Amino acid sequence: MAEIVAGFGVPHTPHFPALVAREGPQSEVALLYAGVAKHVAEAAPDVLIVFTDDHFNTFFLDNFPTFAIGVADATSGPNDQTPMPQYKVAVPSALAAHIRAAAIDRGFDITLAQNFSVDHAVIVPLHFLTPHMKIPVVPIFINGLAPPLPSARRCYALGQAVRAAIEQWPQSLRVGVIGSGSFSLEIGGPQVPVGERSGFPDPQWTAHLQDLMRDDRIDDLLDEATTARMLRAGNIGGELLNWIAMLGVVGKHKPRAMIPHAGQGHAFGVWRWS
Amino acid sequence: MSVYAVNKLCRDALHDLAFREALKRDPAAAIAPLDLTAEERDALLAGDVARLYEWGCHPFLLAYLTRWDLFGLTVPVYSERIHAVRDERNG
Repeated sequence: MAEIVAGFGVPHTPHFPALVAREGPQSEVALLYAGVAKHVAEAAPDVLIVFTDDHFNTFFLDNFPTFAIGVADATSGPNDQTPMPQYKVAVPSALAAHIRAAAIDRGFDITLAQNFSVDHAVIVPLHFLTPHMKIPVVPIFINGLAPPLPSARRCYALGQAVRAAIEQWPQSLRVGVIGSGSFSLEIGGPQVPVGERSGFPDPQWTAHLQDLMRDDRIDDLLDEATTARMLRAGNIGGELLNWIAMLGVVGKHKPRAMIPHAGQGHAFGVWRWS
Repeated sequence: MSVYAVNKLCRDALHDLAFREALKRDPAAAIAPLDLTAEERDALLAGDVARLYEWGCHPFLLAYLTRWDLFGLTVPVYSERIHAVRDERNG
């Protein structure tokens, strides 16, 4: 039987790969990702589920899913001109198809994506956590950017459905799960700092979310993370939903690590329990 | 309203290099074939991101325009104009 072995929460800031290429492996951002990558290596997952929000690249507003899952033999990216290497990554299509069917069986009418590429929200975390792209990835897309957003409870339940699907998988398989994104981030909206195109308007929310997760206060997190509250933390604040879905897969565990990133609107989290 | 067409224009500026170059060269000509209202056309050519935002254009997409200073939208100009909108998130 397949088992969930670890959960990870990381940002996917598009300029981080170029920043680290310039500043080197001892730079702050490199070390933050490396701290998580060490846990990925130790947990040794055979497969990673990645909860991601597409930034109008894989999909567009002509056809924008609330939830979608990638079922293919491989995907590639980034598909959005992010300055970083291009990668191809395997997708375990049979497992992805199984998760899709199991999710639909539990009431999640999740959109099917085949023959798709992915944007920086999938590839930036993988670039830092699994740079050789040897671990196959199942991307699950959540609309965190184009309101109305799915509710936090719905996303947590989606994670629980994914967990149940994995636990039904008959073969032995170690599965890790990543939640990709920020807690407070405004791009191009009225909350950007004067003279800037983006900013982190809500450091208090960013810190509070880390406290809730540190103490495994899931009910409080799901109550507080309304769409209105998330968007007050920035028009990209709905990316918290990717972390919440990841927590639905992980279940009731305190994080092994929850590392803030000073001056930014995100954190680096690790959940392991064995 | 054809907010979709404005959002699509922003996306195409990122993904379609020939379109981006056309926007740099002659913005009015580049957007002439698009399905926009006269008001949207005027707002775009004036770089009036506050109005485009209030009509429902997505700020993540609008902000692409600053990458190449399209429609005169340098980052400082964009930032100043977007601060003029009423932010409904604050009630």
